[in-house]
Amino acid sequence: MTKLADFSVGQEFINEFDEINRELLQLYAKASGDTNPIHTRDEIAEKAGLNGVIAHGLFSFGFITKMFEDMLNQENDGQLIECGVEMRGMVRCGDTLVTKATVSKVDGKDVHFDIEQRTITPVDIKDKEGNIVKQFEAGERGYISEKDEAKGLVHTKEVDEGILTFRDRLACPGHAIIRLKM
Amino acid sequence: MIKNFEFLKENLPGTDIPGKARVKCRYRDLSKFAKVYGFEDPKYVGSKEDGIVACKAWANAITVKSFYILIPATKLTQNGEERPFLLNPNKLLHAGNQYNWEGCVPMKDGDKIISRGKWGKMWLNKDNMILFAELLLTAKNENDETVVKVTTQAAVRPGGY
Repeated sequence: MTKLADFSVGQEFINEFDEINRELLQLYAKASGDTNPIHTRDEIAEKAGLNGVIAHGLFSFGFITKMFEDMLNQENDGQLIECGVEMRGMVRCGDTLVTKATVSKVDGKDVHFDIEQRTITPVDIKDKEGNIVKQFEAGERGYISEKDEAKGLVHTKEVDEGILTFRDRLACPGHAIIRLKM
Repeated sequence: MIKNFEFLKENLPGTDIPGKARVKCRYRDLSKFAKVYGFEDPKYVGSKEDGIVACKAWANAITVKSFYILIPATKLTQNGEERPFLLNPNKLLHAGNQYNWEGCVPMKDGDKIISRGKWGKMWLNKDNMILFAELLLTAKNENDETVVKVTTQAAVRPGGY
Protein backbone atom coordinates (compact mmCIF):
# COMPACT_ATOMS: atom_id res chain seq x y z
CA MET A 1 0.00 0.00 0.00
CA THR A 2 1.34 3.43 -0.92
CA LYS A 3 1.40 5.79 2.07
CA LEU A 4 2.62 9.26 3.01
CA ALA A 5 5.82 7.93 4.59
CA ASP A 6 6.88 6.66 1.14
CA PHE A 7 7.46 10.24 -0.10
CA SER A 8 10.11 12.84 0.66
CA VAL A 9 10.95 16.18 -0.96
CA GLY A 10 13.40 15.75 -3.82
CA GLN A 11 12.48 12.12 -4.47
CA GLU A 12 12.25 11.30 -8.20
CA PHE A 13 9.98 8.90 -10.07
CA ILE A 14 10.85 8.12 -13.68
CA ASN A 15 8.95 6.32 -16.41
CA GLU A 16 10.17 5.63 -19.95
CA PHE A 17 8.05 4.64 -22.93
CA ASP A 18 9.64 3.83 -26.28
CA GLU A 19 6.80 2.30 -28.28
CA ILE A 20 5.23 5.36 -29.89
CA ASN A 21 4.19 4.28 -33.36
CA ARG A 22 1.46 4.92 -35.94
CA GLU A 23 -0.71 2.03 -34.75
CA LEU A 24 -0.78 3.48 -31.23
CA LEU A 25 -1.69 6.95 -32.53
CA GLN A 26 -4.51 5.40 -34.58
CA LEU A 27 -5.80 3.61 -31.50
CA TYR A 28 -5.65 6.85 -29.53
CA ALA A 29 -7.47 8.73 -32.32
CA LYS A 30 -10.30 6.20 -32.44
CA ALA A 31 -10.69 5.93 -28.68
CA SER A 32 -10.42 9.66 -27.91
CA GLY A 33 -12.45 10.90 -30.87
CA ASP A 34 -9.63 13.27 -31.91
CA THR A 35 -9.44 12.14 -35.51
CA ASN A 36 -7.50 15.05 -37.01
CA PRO A 37 -5.55 13.29 -39.80
CA ILE A 38 -2.29 15.14 -39.06
CA HIS A 39 -1.96 12.55 -36.27
CA THR A 40 -2.60 9.47 -38.38
CA ARG A 41 -1.82 10.14 -42.06
CA ASP A 42 1.64 11.14 -43.17
CA GLU A 43 0.52 12.67 -46.47
CA ILE A 44 -1.87 15.04 -44.68
CA ALA A 45 0.75 15.92 -42.07
CA GLU A 46 3.26 16.61 -44.85
CA LYS A 47 0.80 18.97 -46.56
CA ALA A 48 0.56 20.81 -43.23
CA GLY A 49 4.34 21.22 -43.28
CA LEU A 50 4.99 18.73 -40.51
CA ASN A 51 7.20 16.21 -42.41
CA GLY A 52 5.18 13.34 -40.92
CA VAL A 53 2.50 12.54 -38.35
CA ILE A 54 2.72 14.08 -34.88
CA ALA A 55 1.20 12.66 -31.72
CA HIS A 56 -1.97 14.28 -30.43
CA GLY A 57 -1.21 17.18 -28.10
CA LEU A 58 -2.65 15.35 -25.13
CA PHE A 59 -1.44 11.85 -26.02
CA SER A 60 1.66 12.10 -23.87
CA PHE A 61 -0.36 13.52 -20.95
CA GLY A 62 -1.80 10.05 -20.40
CA PHE A 63 1.63 8.69 -19.49
CA ILE A 64 1.84 11.26 -16.70
CA THR A 65 -1.55 10.41 -15.20
CA LYS A 66 -0.90 6.66 -15.62
CA MET A 67 2.32 7.05 -13.64
CA PHE A 68 0.32 8.42 -10.69
CA GLU A 69 -2.52 5.92 -11.07
CA ASP A 70 0.06 3.13 -10.89
CA MET A 71 1.81 4.83 -7.96
CA LEU A 72 -1.55 4.89 -6.13
CA ASN A 73 -2.33 1.24 -6.91
CA GLN A 74 -4.98 2.21 -9.48
CA GLU A 75 -6.18 4.93 -7.09
CA ASN A 76 -7.03 2.46 -4.34
CA ASP A 77 -4.47 4.14 -2.04
CA GLY A 78 -5.39 7.71 -2.84
CA GLN A 79 -6.37 9.98 -5.69
CA LEU A 80 -4.73 12.14 -8.30
CA ILE A 81 -6.49 15.43 -7.57
CA GLU A 82 -4.68 17.82 -9.89
CA CYS A 83 -2.43 17.64 -12.92
CA GLY A 84 -1.42 20.45 -15.24
CA VAL A 85 0.83 20.54 -18.28
CA GLU A 86 2.02 22.95 -20.93
CA MET A 87 2.46 21.47 -24.38
CA ARG A 88 5.75 22.83 -25.70
CA GLY A 89 7.22 20.25 -28.04
CA MET A 90 5.75 17.87 -30.60
CA VAL A 91 5.95 14.15 -29.88
CA ARG A 92 6.71 11.85 -32.81
CA CYS A 93 6.78 8.19 -33.72
CA GLY A 94 10.16 6.78 -32.74
CA ASP A 95 10.56 9.11 -29.76
CA THR A 96 11.25 7.77 -26.30
CA LEU A 97 9.06 9.60 -23.82
CA VAL A 98 10.74 10.12 -20.45
CA THR A 99 8.44 11.29 -17.66
CA LYS A 100 10.04 12.47 -14.43
CA ALA A 101 8.04 13.49 -11.35
CA THR A 102 9.95 15.09 -8.47
CA VAL A 103 8.36 15.56 -5.05
CA SER A 104 8.30 19.32 -4.38
CA LYS A 105 6.17 19.47 -1.22
CA VAL A 106 4.42 17.21 1.26
CA ASP A 107 1.46 18.99 2.82
CA GLY A 108 -0.81 16.96 5.10
CA LYS A 109 -1.98 14.03 3.00
CA ASP A 110 -1.16 15.85 -0.25
CA VAL A 111 2.06 15.23 -2.15
CA HIS A 112 3.01 17.82 -4.78
CA PHE A 113 5.18 17.00 -7.77
CA ASP A 114 7.03 18.96 -10.44
CA ILE A 115 6.79 17.16 -13.76
CA GLU A 116 9.15 17.16 -16.67
CA GLN A 117 8.33 15.10 -19.73
CA ARG A 118 11.10 14.93 -22.34
CA THR A 119 11.37 13.36 -25.76
CA ILE A 120 14.54 11.59 -26.79
CA THR A 121 14.59 11.46 -30.59
CA PRO A 122 17.18 9.22 -32.27
CA VAL A 123 18.41 10.59 -35.61
CA ASP A 124 21.12 8.22 -36.89
CA ILE A 125 24.12 6.10 -35.97
CA LYS A 126 27.41 6.75 -37.75
CA ASP A 127 30.61 4.71 -37.83
CA LYS A 128 34.00 6.22 -37.00
CA GLU A 129 34.40 7.45 -40.59
CA GLY A 130 31.12 9.34 -40.40
CA ASN A 131 29.15 6.94 -42.60
CA ILE A 132 25.54 6.44 -41.60
CA VAL A 133 25.08 2.81 -40.57
CA LYS A 134 21.52 3.23 -39.28
CA GLN A 135 18.99 5.97 -39.84
CA PHE A 136 15.91 6.52 -37.73
CA GLU A 137 12.60 8.14 -38.72
CA ALA A 138 13.73 11.56 -37.48
CA GLY A 139 16.74 11.38 -39.78
CA GLU A 140 14.77 10.13 -42.76
CA ARG A 141 11.97 12.68 -42.43
CA GLY A 142 14.00 15.64 -41.24
CA TYR A 143 12.41 16.21 -37.85
CA ILE A 144 15.48 17.89 -36.38
CA SER A 145 15.73 21.57 -37.23
CA GLU A 146 18.56 24.06 -37.29
CA LYS A 147 16.84 25.71 -34.33
CA ASP A 148 17.22 22.48 -32.36
CA GLU A 149 20.95 22.49 -33.09
CA ALA A 150 21.28 26.19 -32.25
CA LYS A 151 19.53 25.61 -28.94
CA GLY A 152 21.97 22.84 -28.04
CA LEU A 153 19.34 20.10 -28.04
CA VAL A 154 21.22 17.74 -30.37
CA HIS A 155 23.77 15.43 -28.77
CA THR A 156 25.85 12.35 -29.56
CA LYS A 157 26.83 9.31 -27.57
CA GLU A 158 28.67 6.06 -28.22
CA VAL A 159 26.55 2.96 -28.68
CA ASP A 160 27.47 -0.59 -29.76
CA GLU A 161 26.99 0.17 -33.48
CA GLY A 162 28.84 3.54 -33.50
CA ILE A 163 27.97 7.13 -32.59
CA LEU A 164 24.29 7.87 -31.99
CA THR A 165 23.00 11.36 -32.74
CA PHE A 166 19.83 12.27 -30.86
CA ARG A 167 17.75 15.22 -29.73
CA ASP A 168 16.77 15.66 -26.08
CA ARG A 169 13.93 18.16 -25.72
CA LEU A 170 11.46 19.22 -23.04
CA ALA A 171 8.01 18.38 -24.39
CA CYS A 172 5.79 18.98 -21.40
CA PRO A 173 6.56 20.71 -18.11
CA GLY A 174 3.89 20.52 -15.45
CA HIS A 175 2.81 19.71 -11.94
CA ALA A 176 0.60 17.24 -10.09
CA ILE A 177 -0.91 16.70 -6.65
CA ILE A 178 -1.92 13.35 -5.21
CA ARG A 179 -3.95 12.89 -2.01
CA LEU A 180 -3.18 9.76 -0.03
CA LYS A 181 -5.61 7.84 2.16
CA MET A 182 -2.94 7.16 4.80
CA MET B 1 -4.09 43.00 -34.00
CA ILE B 2 -3.48 44.84 -30.75
CA LYS B 3 -6.86 46.58 -31.06
CA ASN B 4 -8.56 43.23 -31.61
CA PHE B 5 -6.75 41.73 -28.63
CA GLU B 6 -7.75 44.67 -26.43
CA PHE B 7 -11.35 44.36 -27.58
CA LEU B 8 -11.44 40.63 -26.78
CA LYS B 9 -9.68 41.13 -23.44
CA GLU B 10 -12.18 43.78 -22.46
CA ASN B 11 -15.24 41.78 -23.46
CA LEU B 12 -14.62 38.08 -22.88
CA PRO B 13 -12.98 37.19 -19.54
CA GLY B 14 -15.60 36.10 -17.02
CA THR B 15 -18.36 35.59 -19.58
CA ASP B 16 -20.11 32.30 -20.28
CA ILE B 17 -19.30 30.52 -23.51
CA PRO B 18 -22.52 29.72 -25.36
CA GLY B 19 -23.34 26.07 -26.03
CA LYS B 20 -22.10 22.84 -24.56
CA ALA B 21 -20.04 19.85 -25.58
CA ARG B 22 -21.36 16.31 -25.08
CA VAL B 23 -19.25 13.19 -24.71
CA LYS B 24 -20.67 9.69 -24.29
CA CYS B 25 -18.56 7.32 -22.25
CA ARG B 26 -18.92 4.10 -24.19
CA TYR B 27 -17.42 0.88 -22.85
CA ARG B 28 -15.55 0.28 -26.11
CA ASP B 29 -13.91 3.72 -26.09
CA LEU B 30 -13.03 3.75 -22.39
CA SER B 31 -11.36 0.34 -22.52
CA LYS B 32 -9.53 1.04 -25.80
CA PHE B 33 -8.33 4.34 -24.44
CA ALA B 34 -7.00 2.70 -21.26
CA LYS B 35 -5.25 0.02 -23.34
CA VAL B 36 -3.34 2.72 -25.25
CA TYR B 37 -1.54 3.43 -21.99
CA GLY B 38 -1.08 -0.20 -21.02
CA PHE B 39 -3.69 -0.44 -18.26
CA GLU B 40 -4.46 -4.06 -17.41
CA ASP B 41 -6.49 -3.61 -14.22
CA PRO B 42 -10.15 -4.74 -14.61
CA LYS B 43 -11.17 -1.44 -13.05
CA TYR B 44 -10.33 0.17 -16.42
CA VAL B 45 -10.36 -2.67 -18.96
CA GLY B 46 -12.56 -5.37 -17.38
CA SER B 47 -15.81 -6.72 -18.77
CA LYS B 48 -18.80 -4.56 -19.60
CA GLU B 49 -20.94 -6.66 -17.24
CA ASP B 50 -18.68 -5.93 -14.26
CA GLY B 51 -18.46 -2.25 -15.19
CA ILE B 52 -15.40 -0.09 -15.77
CA VAL B 53 -14.37 3.46 -14.95
CA ALA B 54 -12.39 5.83 -17.13
CA CYS B 55 -8.70 6.30 -16.48
CA LYS B 56 -7.77 9.87 -15.59
CA ALA B 57 -6.44 10.76 -19.05
CA TRP B 58 -9.92 10.16 -20.53
CA ALA B 59 -10.60 13.75 -19.44
CA ASN B 60 -8.63 14.64 -22.59
CA ALA B 61 -11.52 13.44 -24.74
CA ILE B 62 -13.79 15.95 -23.02
CA THR B 63 -11.29 18.76 -23.24
CA VAL B 64 -10.58 18.30 -26.92
CA LYS B 65 -14.26 18.15 -27.85
CA SER B 66 -15.06 21.18 -25.69
CA PHE B 67 -12.11 23.08 -27.12
CA TYR B 68 -13.18 22.67 -30.72
CA ILE B 69 -16.93 23.11 -30.11
CA LEU B 70 -17.00 25.93 -27.57
CA ILE B 71 -14.28 28.24 -28.88
CA PRO B 72 -15.85 28.70 -32.33
CA ALA B 73 -19.24 29.23 -30.66
CA THR B 74 -18.25 32.59 -29.21
CA LYS B 75 -19.45 35.58 -31.21
CA LEU B 76 -19.19 39.27 -30.37
CA THR B 77 -20.13 42.61 -31.87
CA GLN B 78 -17.13 44.78 -32.72
CA ASN B 79 -17.61 48.18 -34.36
CA GLY B 80 -21.24 47.32 -35.04
CA GLU B 81 -20.47 44.05 -36.82
CA GLU B 82 -20.77 40.52 -35.56
CA ARG B 83 -17.50 38.59 -35.48
CA PRO B 84 -16.47 35.23 -34.10
CA PHE B 85 -13.78 35.05 -31.42
CA LEU B 86 -11.73 33.04 -33.87
CA LEU B 87 -11.28 34.75 -37.24
CA ASN B 88 -9.31 31.82 -38.70
CA PRO B 89 -9.69 28.37 -37.10
CA ASN B 90 -6.40 27.23 -38.65
CA LYS B 91 -4.58 29.63 -36.33
CA LEU B 92 -5.84 27.90 -33.19
CA LEU B 93 -3.43 25.85 -31.06
CA HIS B 94 -3.96 23.95 -27.85
CA ALA B 95 -1.25 25.17 -25.47
CA GLY B 96 -1.91 23.53 -22.13
CA ASN B 97 -4.33 22.02 -19.66
CA GLN B 98 -4.84 21.88 -15.95
CA TYR B 99 -7.19 19.22 -14.62
CA ASN B 100 -8.74 19.23 -11.17
CA TRP B 101 -10.56 16.15 -9.86
CA GLU B 102 -10.94 17.22 -6.22
CA GLY B 103 -14.46 16.29 -5.05
CA CYS B 104 -15.30 14.80 -8.44
CA VAL B 105 -16.83 11.40 -9.15
CA PRO B 106 -15.18 9.03 -11.65
CA MET B 107 -16.49 8.79 -15.20
CA LYS B 108 -17.87 5.35 -15.99
CA ASP B 109 -19.27 3.30 -18.83
CA GLY B 110 -22.64 4.70 -19.88
CA ASP B 111 -22.11 8.23 -18.56
CA LYS B 112 -23.29 11.11 -20.70
CA ILE B 113 -20.99 14.01 -19.97
CA ILE B 114 -21.86 17.61 -20.66
CA SER B 115 -19.19 20.28 -20.53
CA ARG B 116 -19.79 24.02 -20.32
CA GLY B 117 -17.31 26.83 -20.09
CA LYS B 118 -16.43 30.41 -19.23
CA TRP B 119 -13.66 32.57 -20.60
CA GLY B 120 -10.81 33.05 -18.15
CA LYS B 121 -7.66 35.18 -18.37
CA MET B 122 -6.47 36.50 -21.71
CA TRP B 123 -3.05 37.89 -22.59
CA LEU B 124 -0.82 38.66 -25.54
CA ASN B 125 2.77 37.61 -26.06
CA LYS B 126 4.06 40.72 -27.79
CA ASP B 127 7.22 38.96 -29.02
CA ASN B 128 5.30 36.68 -31.37
CA MET B 129 1.84 38.29 -31.14
CA ILE B 130 0.25 35.04 -30.03
CA LEU B 131 -2.95 35.56 -28.05
CA PHE B 132 -3.43 33.22 -25.10
CA ALA B 133 -6.85 32.62 -23.61
CA GLU B 134 -8.02 30.38 -20.81
CA LEU B 135 -11.27 28.43 -20.94
CA LEU B 136 -12.63 27.31 -17.60
CA LEU B 137 -14.58 24.11 -18.19
CA THR B 138 -16.79 22.12 -15.86
CA ALA B 139 -17.88 18.66 -16.96
CA LYS B 140 -20.83 16.92 -15.30
CA ASN B 141 -22.54 13.58 -15.70
CA GLU B 142 -26.27 13.06 -16.23
CA ASN B 143 -26.81 13.13 -12.44
CA ASP B 144 -25.35 16.65 -12.33
CA GLU B 145 -22.23 15.36 -10.52
CA THR B 146 -18.98 17.06 -11.48
CA VAL B 147 -16.52 14.66 -13.11
CA VAL B 148 -13.64 17.08 -13.83
CA LYS B 149 -12.82 20.78 -13.84
CA VAL B 150 -10.42 21.92 -16.52
CA THR B 151 -8.52 25.10 -17.22
CA THR B 152 -7.49 24.76 -20.82
CA GLN B 153 -5.27 27.22 -22.65
CA ALA B 154 -5.85 28.25 -26.25
CA ALA B 155 -3.13 29.94 -28.28
CA VAL B 156 -4.21 31.91 -31.34
CA ARG B 157 -1.53 32.86 -33.83
CA PRO B 158 -1.53 36.23 -35.65
CA GLY B 159 -4.37 36.40 -38.15
CA GLY B 160 -6.61 34.22 -36.01
CA TYR B 161 -8.07 36.91 -33.74
